[in-house]
Amino acid sequence: MTLSRRPRFKISRGLLYTLLIVSSAVMAFPLLFMFLGSIGTTADYTRSPWLPIPSVPTLENYAIILNPGKTDVWKWVANTLIRAAWYIVIPGIISVLCGYVFAKLSFRGRDAAFTFLLMSLMLPGIVFQVPTFVMMARFPLAGGNNILGQGGTGFINQWPALLIPGLVSVYYIFMLRQTFYSIPADFEEAARVDGAGTLRCLFSVYLPMLKPVLTVLVIFQFVGIWNDYIWPLFVTSGNPQIYVMALGFQYLQQAGNSLKGLPNTVTDYPFTFALAACSILPLVIMFLFLQKYFVEGVAGFAIKG
Amino acid sequence: MIDATTSNITNVHVTDTLSRKEAFRRWRYRHRHAVEGWTILTPILLYYGIFFLFPVIASLLLSFMKWSGLSGSPEWVGLANYRRFLSDPTYITIIVNTMVFAVSILIVQTALAVVIALMLNAKIKGRGLFRAAWYVPTLTSAAVMAQVAFVFISPADGVINMVLRQLKLPPIIFYTQVDWMRVIIIAYSVWRGVGGAIILYLAALQGIHPELYEAAQVDGANGRQLFRHITVPLLAPMTVFVLITGIIGTAQIFETVMFLSKGGPANLTNVLMLQIYQDAFANQSLGLASTGAMILGLLLIVFSSINMRILSRGRVGN
Repeated sequence: MTLSRRPRFKISRGLLYTLLIVSSAVMAFPLLFMFLGSIGTTADYTRSPWLPIPSVPTLENYAIILNPGKTDVWKWVANTLIRAAWYIVIPGIISVLCGYVFAKLSFRGRDAAFTFLLMSLMLPGIVFQVPTFVMMARFPLAGGNNILGQGGTGFINQWPALLIPGLVSVYYIFMLRQTFYSIPADFEEAARVDGAGTLRCLFSVYLPMLKPVLTVLVIFQFVGIWNDYIWPLFVTSGNPQIYVMALGFQYLQQAGNSLKGLPNTVTDYPFTFALAACSILPLVIMFLFLQKYFVEGVAGFAIKG
Repeated sequence: MIDATTSNITNVHVTDTLSRKEAFRRWRYRHRHAVEGWTILTPILLYYGIFFLFPVIASLLLSFMKWSGLSGSPEWVGLANYRRFLSDPTYITIIVNTMVFAVSILIVQTALAVVIALMLNAKIKGRGLFRAAWYVPTLTSAAVMAQVAFVFISPADGVINMVLRQLKLPPIIFYTQVDWMRVIIIAYSVWRGVGGAIILYLAALQGIHPELYEAAQVDGANGRQLFRHITVPLLAPMTVFVLITGIIGTAQIFETVMFLSKGGPANLTNVLMLQIYQDAFANQSLGLASTGAMILGLLLIVFSSINMRILSRGRVGN
């Protein structure tokens, strides 16, 4: 009798591979189409709309997009990176501290505070985004506002609006708390016998053990901020200087023809493709190198939670 | 204490402070957890109160008001905004659309995820590559990628219509045909959303102990029975998680509709998030926007509790 490790379904290997290959190809098709289209011309795309195989592959679109003299792409990328760093460091610190408090300290009111924080996971972001927009617009003594927040535009179209909201991420506090739970108290006790204080324990004892979960935090915050569109659209659509990548690309994609000095007779889709490719490639490369952490980040919360 | 034996006044004073210091030290040690806990939590809870609790309460209050947000002060209008949402045919359509999109995307996505995860869980070569093909779309920006999707459905020079022209078929003007737009919006959302669910199901499948299957096989269970009595019940908790977190995502569909159909034709694909955005920023009607946000929040709570109710009966996946 042979025992297979996994259940055998009535489906042959050949059929399994065929289904997988065909369905995966369907999933990959739009991205493949986009990459091929981005290294061709409008003519290539019109000639063979099934799959725009370029007659002469060209990196012209990429050269224009990445040329600082022609576009603001690098500035937008820099803005996005500044935001990403901020939204990794601050929520990271907050999550580690809170995770420690909720898992390793016991005091009255702790669970009430945790439940209070958990509320935000249940509501859609828009419930607090609209009033937060008003708060930013009516921020006292900012952007021409008086002390009552009247008269000016507050932080709208200014950096603080992109950096103030959303610094407490309950999702990561929850994840860190679960991780702290899984670390036995012995490590901290040993360090305390040697005279270490709480901060010392956090940095020297716990931090090395938190590396995997913090890697997950860094990756997912990065992906989230890299693609963030809704909030920057709400608060910065009037100031191209502080556009983030996703917002800037949306405006830039109509500019393909004029950047090439061509008349606007046909839509320059290859340019749109190249822009999209630029926004996706960094994340794809990241995914290929850090696949393990991506999987852990998606699944870890569900399994541990 | 060394000083306790002397009667010198200054020494008494020193003793006093020392013991007070000592007492404080002891008090602090005894209450170390509470002291450190609240030192860390106070600023965080304060921030959270200002940027979460306050906006939520403000949203709730604004939903009973009329306010442009630009000038003047809010005016109390009672339930007028809610009445508008429940009587104006446009808003009713928007609520229904949101629910239809949220549920259909979720169902298609979850069903597909189970099938793909089962296939990927089999002993196959190149699992990493297949997994990448299914997961990479979730990394794309909804806004940027929707513009690529739009290239496919553009009326004159879109990919699909150019292919149709080469095949000598009449073109389809997608954005005038609501059924097509619905299918396209659902397909695009599933394309971007299915990857996460697959990873979740894969993790759940790999968490099932092989011994369970082996024991059942020894008892003579066939493949179908193994699936029916081991795989399905053990996937149920993950299904709860996938559906509840999933509905929170799919009900907030925004960029997809904004770029692909702009809510058209005639609001037939419009959704709550897009309408909230338009009410708040284009129509400068923060009251209506807040009402929309409250209704979306309510829908999510109702959806999640229905999901939990159904799934706790253990009747899913049979």
